[in-house]
Amino acid sequence: MTANNMADPRRPSKIFRYKPPNTETNPTLEDPTPDYMNLLGMVFSMCGLMLKLKWCAWIAVYCSFISFANSRSSEDTKQMMSSFMLSISAVVMSYLQNPQPMSPPW
Amino acid sequence: FMGRYNDDFDDGEDIAEFDDNDFAEFEDVSEDPAVDVEKEPPPRAAPSSTPIEDDEDEATVENEDGQDEFEDADAQDQDMYSKYDNEEFEGYEKTNPSFKDTLIYREVPAHLQNSWESYYMEILMVTGLLAYIMNYIIGKNKNSRLAQAWFNSHRELLESNFALVGDDGTSKEATSTGKLNQENEHIYNLWCSGRVCCEGMLIQLKFLKRQDLLNVLARMMRPACDQVQVKVTLNDEDMDTFVFAVGSRKAMARLQKEMQDLCEFCGDKPKSGAKYGIPESLAILSEMGEVTDGVMDNKMVHYLTSHADKIESIHFSDQFSGPKVMQEEGQPLKLPETKKTLLFTFNVPGMGNTSPKDMDILLPLMNMVIYSIDKVKKLRLNREGKQKADRNRARVEENFLKQTHTQRQEAAQTRREEKKRAEKERIMNEEDPDRQRRLEEAAQRREQKKLEKKQMKMKQIKVKAM
Repeated sequence: MTANNMADPRRPSKIFRYKPPNTETNPTLEDPTPDYMNLLGMVFSMCGLMLKLKWCAWIAVYCSFISFANSRSSEDTKQMMSSFMLSISAVVMSYLQNPQPMSPPW
Repeated sequence: FMGRYNDDFDDGEDIAEFDDNDFAEFEDVSEDPAVDVEKEPPPRAAPSSTPIEDDEDEATVENEDGQDEFEDADAQDQDMYSKYDNEEFEGYEKTNPSFKDTLIYREVPAHLQNSWESYYMEILMVTGLLAYIMNYIIGKNKNSRLAQAWFNSHRELLESNFALVGDDGTSKEATSTGKLNQENEHIYNLWCSGRVCCEGMLIQLKFLKRQDLLNVLARMMRPACDQVQVKVTLNDEDMDTFVFAVGSRKAMARLQKEMQDLCEFCGDKPKSGAKYGIPESLAILSEMGEVTDGVMDNKMVHYLTSHADKIESIHFSDQFSGPKVMQEEGQPLKLPETKKTLLFTFNVPGMGNTSPKDMDILLPLMNMVIYSIDKVKKLRLNREGKQKADRNRARVEENFLKQTHTQRQEAAQTRREEKKRAEKERIMNEEDPDRQRRLEEAAQRREQKKLEKKQMKMKQIKVKAM
């Protein structure tokens, strides 16, 4: 019996539950990319809508995609969807107001 | 000579009659060459000068049946009106006859065209988005397969060592979920607990961001590799007091700057471990020589030597508190909380080009982790070593307190002022004037007492000084 106990290192009595690391005390652990991209996406969509710049709206769509790809599972999907919808609406509005194709910057 | 002033005549046969001698003096001497010259403009000018001259002569000229009629008209015109003076055409550029020139096709601006080709930028954008989505799906799947392969190859080892394998902390009962927690599309966690010599072990599979196309492109410039991080937390009795680290030279240099405990306790530069037999690519940071001697036994050296390429860093510490935290101004410093920890960071070979089969290669490293846990439990410093370690810790604490002395004083001062203010406010808000008076008196008495105490202290100090 004792031999068995000694050979088996498992101790069900010594179980501790998992505690997710507290990211408030250690902000370096968190990856800021999805938050930055979200913000950038919103800024670009606003620019695209207000200033009627097509390329702004397209960049906003890209930003919201990148933000989604880098997001954490625990994050709210509502936030992601809202920024995504905003950028899509920016693109659509830019084209409705001005159906001309986008001209390259060069 | 009626005809001369008669605009309506257009009968070519009458030309000869109008060579009137009566008016010879008015006629140009150089009529003949002028005739020839003047013959030219009308044919050319005729098709394009219709808007310029609106005479009936124009009507005859416009008739394009043949050159003959032009010529007839010319003769009439010249004689009668000398209309087609060269001077008349001075400002007017003689365009070349269109018969010989090729037609130039002017380009219609893109926005007026009605073809798909003009929308090439948009098509490019949409293609880019599709490429991003494709990469997202492929990258996500690859990471997921790698994680699953890792878990499958390590499952047996973990289940034989830990009572709880896999926990997300949310379920009521502490039962093994038997699977990884997915934190991200590229980070997977596994919590194991229920073993002798340790509290628990958190394994983090930190894969590359294969699901993000930007990251994929960035990695083409700067290659990186997948990492497996293992963090073992220990109880107080599971480890003696020492700080030690070994790993690649680059990692050691970085950790020494970044980690709070390595910075405070391992002041010397990373040393080579050649004397123990480990390869030159690895360096050691240690609190004292005895610790290194204790950790570097044969088995450990064997592990380090045979897997040196996969080891990024190994960090044992009883004072682990994570990386140095940047303190903000005005926040009173508190000694950071420490926990006895063993940290392992392993690089997955392949520099990103890993396949699920490669996950088996990491199994010996997990064996090393288990071995280290048991070893650290048994590793005890001798008396000298223990004294040195205790002195080190006391020194660090003292330094910390000194640094924060002024800040703590300020914090205490602000706290006292806050209390006073709160007290005054309470007195002000008190409606009953009697109670108000009594509270005021009480506050005054307290102030008086404090002042007396201070005076006593000063007197004592003075006496002592003398």
